[in-house]
Amino acid sequence: MLKQDVNELLTRTGPGTDMGDLFRRYWIPALLAEELPEDGCPPVRVKLLSERMVAIRDSEGRYGLIDEFCAHRGASLWFGSNEVGGLRCAYHGWKYDVTGACLDVPSEPENSNFFRKVKLTAYPLVKIGDVLWTYMGDPAYKPPLPEFEWCMVPPDQTYTSKRWQESNWLQALEGGIDSSHVSWLHSAGLKNDPLFKGSKGNEYNLNDMRPFFEVVDADGGLFVGVRRNAEEGRYYWRITPWVMPAFTLVPPRGDHPVHGHFWVPIDDENCWVFTFDYLPARALTAAELQAMKDGHGVHNEYVPGTYRPLANKDNDYLMDRAAQKRGETFSGVKGIAIQDASLQESMGPIVDRSKERLVSADSGIIKARRKLLTSAVALRENGTVPPGVDPAHHRVRSASIVLPKERSFLEAAHDAVSVIPGVPQTSV
Amino acid sequence: MAATAVEARFRIDAKPQTPRNTSVVALDEGAMAVVRELAGQEWNAARFLGCADGADGPDGAAGAGDYADLQLCTVDGEPVRLSEELAEADFVMMIATEGRGAAAAATIGDACTLRGIMTAGLIVGTNGESGAALTALRPNARVLLVTGDEQDATELLAGVGA
Repeated sequence: MLKQDVNELLTRTGPGTDMGDLFRRYWIPALLAEELPEDGCPPVRVKLLSERMVAIRDSEGRYGLIDEFCAHRGASLWFGSNEVGGLRCAYHGWKYDVTGACLDVPSEPENSNFFRKVKLTAYPLVKIGDVLWTYMGDPAYKPPLPEFEWCMVPPDQTYTSKRWQESNWLQALEGGIDSSHVSWLHSAGLKNDPLFKGSKGNEYNLNDMRPFFEVVDADGGLFVGVRRNAEEGRYYWRITPWVMPAFTLVPPRGDHPVHGHFWVPIDDENCWVFTFDYLPARALTAAELQAMKDGHGVHNEYVPGTYRPLANKDNDYLMDRAAQKRGETFSGVKGIAIQDASLQESMGPIVDRSKERLVSADSGIIKARRKLLTSAVALRENGTVPPGVDPAHHRVRSASIVLPKERSFLEAAHDAVSVIPGVPQTSV
Repeated sequence: MAATAVEARFRIDAKPQTPRNTSVVALDEGAMAVVRELAGQEWNAARFLGCADGADGPDGAAGAGDYADLQLCTVDGEPVRLSEELAEADFVMMIATEGRGAAAAATIGDACTLRGIMTAGLIVGTNGESGAALTALRPNARVLLVTGDEQDATELLAGVGA
């Protein structure tokens, strides 16, 4: 369990908070590229780390994230018109470019330089893969661009979605680090979901409901190895990397695409879950891609026109008790993504960790919290760059592998958990 | 709706009451230094022990149920048998910095398995010796944490309410 002050430090990510300062040292996903589909398209409202902004793609194809509210009298620039070279406020015509610099204040004399004194807060916005990434920290500390494999492979090898989750980011991340829930909450998905079923690894999963855990430090975060019995003298290992602050990869199953998540705080009670599937060495098939778009695997269906899941807290996640009784789902909620979201949201917007009763199987979560805490404090007190900023830390993979019992999983799987471009994932 | 901020305030305000009876056992000299440090902190119901001098494996004396027993000692040097220690324990954490305590780890692991007591292993150190410690502990602990930071021991014990 955590004391309240530690819980506050880990969960609050607004401006001026310790965890907020930590997040502001990283490039983080801001939007899907599909949300700004063409040059000069309408602006999109974006809230990240409790800051409200609009995302722009200007007439020349330049991207930017700027303060949502006009410097004049605070009207939302979302109503603005995306003209040549910038966004013009709908109220009194003040115009801004993607760097937040004001280009025009129409009410001033024609030769006035007043506009040069006006600048909105702005953050860079860069397209890598299917995602627009932003860096919201001090420009002096801007790191190199991220190099997660899922973003670096050719477009036909990757698919990304996002969903709004109505909970704090940390309890969502903890669900990604904790794999012990898979054998329970997602047990039916292992048998039925088209993006999960049919692998030899699933048999090991379902035949051994009491796995053993190993948590090991990594340069960018942690590796969590979970072992189950395989054939005589061998273990089936599932290895999950966590890269700080909020990225995990799920160990693959069979030849299915590899999936993972990046959780991004919207504010202290909401987060975006960027969810992806990718393959290092082949294109996604049409069937795989369609399954993802249909909400299978770790993706979900949506309220039309939004990124809000169709099954959400307002409709009790479309609970189906009959399906639960028939064993088609464990919790009565359909779909792996919403099974996670429902339980994580049910904990409350920010779960009160002083009431927890952790067990040793939660070691990965305990260690992750500690790394986040120590990194945030080290950043505050010494300016220490946190793990996971260096793009070298992004070049990791998850793996599932069968090993002789006496082998150390990390040594034996060293190549399997490293990115080797064009080499398929290590999977069972 | 249960998940809103307003509704979250109505959760029953009851903190966990019954602490875990936790036994923390050092398997080697380096680990004993960690255990002494832990013993100096405030806990609900944790006991801190090491293997008695020369007792790096089962001493052949049978405990109840015909499994081997082990001589342990408290940080103050008081002797205590593993079988007695485990009578009330519901969680055992073994700490190692090297591989010498493999036999003791096996005895503790077997005894806990027979009693249904959860085991965890903490390997402190990131040098070559920690690899031997990992090999020794892996068959005998359901959860292993390999770390270069001794403070993780405190965090793990605090996390489970020891």
